[in-house]
Amino acid sequence: MIENEEVDRRRDAPPALRSSSVAETAAELHRRSVRLFGRSLHIRTIDTGSCGACESELRLLSSPRYDFHRLGLFFAPAPRHADCLMVTGPGTLAMDHALMTTYEAMPDPKIVVAVGACPMGGVFGRDQYTHGDLSTQLPVDVYIPGCPPSPLALLQGLLLALDRSQARMPGRTEPAR
Amino acid sequence: MANWFLRGVRQGVVTTAYPRRADLSTADLPVPPTFASGRINSEKAARLVAVCPSSALAVEAADLVLDVGRCTGCQRCLRVAGEDGRSSAHFEWATRDRHALLVHFPIGESS
Repeated sequence: MIENEEVDRRRDAPPALRSSSVAETAAELHRRSVRLFGRSLHIRTIDTGSCGACESELRLLSSPRYDFHRLGLFFAPAPRHADCLMVTGPGTLAMDHALMTTYEAMPDPKIVVAVGACPMGGVFGRDQYTHGDLSTQLPVDVYIPGCPPSPLALLQGLLLALDRSQARMPGRTEPAR
Repeated sequence: MANWFLRGVRQGVVTTAYPRRADLSTADLPVPPTFASGRINSEKAARLVAVCPSSALAVEAADLVLDVGRCTGCQRCLRVAGEDGRSSAHFEWATRDRHALLVHFPIGESS
């Protein structure tokens, strides 16, 4: 009985944040979301006008070769089921409504991942048809560069979003051999 | 049944061991370039910026700046850079910090 009451209390009202400053609050929220998502993540993907290369790499994540289910990662059939939104494409204006509706339909807390060069303004810049930069539309948590990013790069980005991997960028300047 | 089992044992597991161990297939991926620091002069830097189709390269102050986020790994710049550039051979660029994707290479006097 005690356990059930405990579960009910936790479901009804999350404990109030104890921290005072904005930075501390952000850090505590980050810790909580990592604790929440640390073991498993359900992913919704949305294509905002990509060429399809990123989608083909994303689909490969569930193939026997990469098998992201072994790491507790899954594709969700609807945004209502998803913790993480992976956005591909340059952000065409025609997809604005679909992107925002999908984002708003996802339950909090949620993670946004920018996939490929397009959401970072690489292939198409900002013009009258595209936003060209996802961070102007949604708060982006993790950026995964590549055109398209390989399934292994996607895996590393997802594990980074879950704090199960470190950023592994090489040094700023490397001498040529 | 027995044959199926033996074939499975012989051919092994196809799933990558990636986060635990490195995956050998990553050596062939198209990845962003890297340039020798101080070996690219301003004239060559301008040619590199001009050849980049995704505006990932720019000259800022005394640096050639590569925006890895915008780079498509087409390697056209490597043809222009010749011996002063090579593939970074690194695919794990995921980051939380967009600005960390800006890689600076100091521009030198001679090339």
